[in-house]
Amino acid sequence: MGEFDHEVDAPRGATSREWEVFVREATADPLTHVGSVSAPSADVAREQAASLFGRTAVALWLCPADETRRYQAEAATLGAGAAGEDATMSVAEMQSETLRGEDG
Amino acid sequence: MISVSKLLCDLDAEGDGLRYDAAGESTKRQIRDEKQRRPVVVWNVTKQCNLYCDHCYAAADTEIADGELSTAEGKALLDDLADYGAPVVLFSGGEPLVRNDLEELIAYANDVGVRPVLSTNGTLITAERAESLKAAGLKYAGVSVDGLPERNDDFRGLEGAFEGAVRGIENCLDAGLKTGLRYTITERNAADLEGVVDLLTDVGVDRFCFYHLDYGGRGTEIVDADLTPADRRTAVKRVCDMTREYHDEGEEIETLLVGNYADAAYLVEYAREHVGEAQARRVYEYLRVNGGDPTGERVADVDYQGNVHLTQFWQGYSLGNVRDRPFGDIWEDESNPLLRALRNRDAHLSGKCADCRYAEVCRGASRLRALTVEDDLFAPDPQCYLEDSEIDGPTPFGAGDEPTSAD
Ligand code: SF4
Repeated sequence: MGEFDHEVDAPRGATSREWEVFVREATADPLTHVGSVSAPSADVAREQAASLFGRTAVALWLCPADETRRYQAEAATLGAGAAGEDATMSVAEMQSETLRGEDG
Repeated sequence: MISVSKLLCDLDAEGDGLRYDAAGESTKRQIRDEKQRRPVVVWNVTKQCNLYCDHCYAAADTEIADGELSTAEGKALLDDLADYGAPVVLFSGGEPLVRNDLEELIAYANDVGVRPVLSTNGTLITAERAESLKAAGLKYAGVSVDGLPERNDDFRGLEGAFEGAVRGIENCLDAGLKTGLRYTITERNAADLEGVVDLLTDVGVDRFCFYHLDYGGRGTEIVDADLTPADRRTAVKRVCDMTREYHDEGEEIETLLVGNYADAAYLVEYAREHVGEAQARRVYEYLRVNGGDPTGERVADVDYQGNVHLTQFWQGYSLGNVRDRPFGDIWEDESNPLLRALRNRDAHLSGKCADCRYAEVCRGASRLRALTVEDDLFAPDPQCYLEDSEIDGPTPFGAGDEPTSAD
């Protein structure tokens, strides 16, 4: 077993807060991670998770993704880090490159 | 994706192998194979966009967002997709052309054997960019236009966007890229549909994809601007009529309907009325093998941060992240009860979908719309426009009948 010293610290959401969702399908079952929902508050996250998993769950846990530390035994498949500075156009470049049909 | 031209006019089009098996060979085994098919993966390479469209499902922005997959991560993702056997990657956004490494990623997808196609607003496709996309191995560009100039520009938040998109389309065609139109039908632009097709046919476009509005991203804010069921039926009928008229005149345009599998049921009804019982039976068999709404099965989405979604429109829920686990492992993990239920949705559909005679070709259409409007994952799609008299009764043509090749 590894040391779990590889942290995956890239963000999981940008428009609103992301919430990791865990469900238990029967009291004898383990709690299972079933993905995440985007929601501005815990209450809204609960509503959304309930509408997706309420049919089958006896327990539903939510954890803010930005408070969740994700560690892996081995370095993640995709490696770490986000896009470099010059990977996308700047706003100015984007605007100047946009075709508006004005020149021929 | 339902090819209206194929079904009604028997047009052979590139890419049909993904949607249908050969006519008249719909054995049970093929259906099973079909269901095990790997998904087409939409990859939103960026959240950034140069336009600001009302109905954007990705809620894109002009500023670069945190946590975009880097070039190296993107290539590793494409390796993942290739290992898993994903047949196609659809580069989308945001506006994918704002990424300066787009061509590098397209070339890489090509190298590892995942067919690269593109969804774009077209307004950044200069002649040089079209050449470099073609050189990178891009197989298809779908350019979004949502109405005649005035309406389109209003929708897209930029004056001149229509002309810009047409320039982009022309540049693609000049570079020898197969190029098609993406048109999202709403109440505001339904009337422009034929005008846009006429205009773009003249430019040289021969493939037209009509999208029904799904209720994700900014789309949820315009649920009210969506078509009523009666207007939707009229719009879909117009697509069918128009396709046949073009073909009758010898112009073999390809037309597709996307995002509402109630269209499958309607197409069978339409074929019955306009092209005869034998053709209707063939249409039904094709669509049955096609398997209905593909959410969580034959389409998948990976967003700019690596989150995996059930479709590109369903951004509010993620199955997991490709920075944590390979895509295939996330997609195969049926310890997730939602994924399990969606893949077995026939057992859960309620209301009129539970007894609908077309359930096999439609499968309840969009689960996301049902969830958004009814707050019930297995309620009927609020966009269903079929009449009760059409959906009541036994399965058309007898369930599981083996059609003969004469069909
Ligand atoms: S009733 Fe349901 S299954 Fe039948 S066509 Fe409408 S949405 Fe599809």
